[in-house]
Amino acid sequence: MLLVHCPVCGAEGDETDFHGGGQAHVRRPATHDPVNVSDEAQRDYLFIRHNAKGLHFERWRCDRGCGKWFHAARDTVTMEFKAYYGITELPPRELMEQATGEWAGYFKDKLK
Amino acid sequence: MPDLYVESPLAHRNSPERLSIYLREIKDRGMVDLRGIASDKKFMAAAKKVLGLDLPKTPHSSVSWGDVKALWLSIDQWLILCPRAKAAELAAALTAELGVIHSLAVDVSDMRAVLRLEGEGVREVLLKGSSLDLLSGDYKPGAVRRMHYAEIAALLHVVEDTVFDLYVFRSYADYAWEFLLATAREASKIKLFGKQAGPF
Repeated sequence: MLLVHCPVCGAEGDETDFHGGGQAHVRRPATHDPVNVSDEAQRDYLFIRHNAKGLHFERWRCDRGCGKWFHAARDTVTMEFKAYYGITELPPRELMEQATGEWAGYFKDKLK
Repeated sequence: MPDLYVESPLAHRNSPERLSIYLREIKDRGMVDLRGIASDKKFMAAAKKVLGLDLPKTPHSSVSWGDVKALWLSIDQWLILCPRAKAAELAAALTAELGVIHSLAVDVSDMRAVLRLEGEGVREVLLKGSSLDLLSGDYKPGAVRRMHYAEIAALLHVVEDTVFDLYVFRSYADYAWEFLLATAREASKIKLFGKQAGPF
């Protein structure tokens, strides 16, 4: 059982009080360039997700509390939550630096 | 305008017996759902003009003024409590005052049933259906919390130290009532701190 903390209202509860929304920071190609969306880009957007071992970034919703979405950084090995941050925000800088694999590639240009 | 016709979702239920707490339904509670942007000064001022109170910005808190009470539900949502007969009028007054401000005020008096729980062991009874630490200092009078109660969505309002209002969606009222009848039985009373009645 995960113990989750909502950064919006401060509620703390187990995961049944919350709703996991899958991988964070998924970029919808049509939002940025509606004319030139390739089949591959659309497939990746819809179906292809990171399967990180270790640090992972997710969306969560305070389902039985304030009802707001937020982001969380979680270690998929230890199940420990490393940070909670707003739904429109990027993770804390040190976590972006610690990210490995596909996440490192994603955060590379955001760390500049 | 025809007379207000209100049918309770618990009309078929008798008043409960042999409970360790006092349980009843509050039927005359008017509720208005108010949404708007808390950082918008115009919105807050318009709400204050109609309601006579500053909408609470602190999570899980409430503010009252006269017979109107505002419960914090989310950073952009409040539940306004008032007498039932006043709800439609209050929603209309809010809508008129808010005008073009990005906001919403709807009379939702029929959306939820209100269960009033009173008595010494009320926290222990509620604990049986919830994972909240109701014995901690967070649940002082005035506290408001949307919660997972007995596997359903509920809203808890601490009215006084031993008086709680439990708001559940109307269609769940019967289930919540049944759950409370079972967990609040005199025979199933628990005392978390202090000498237990055991051995069990």
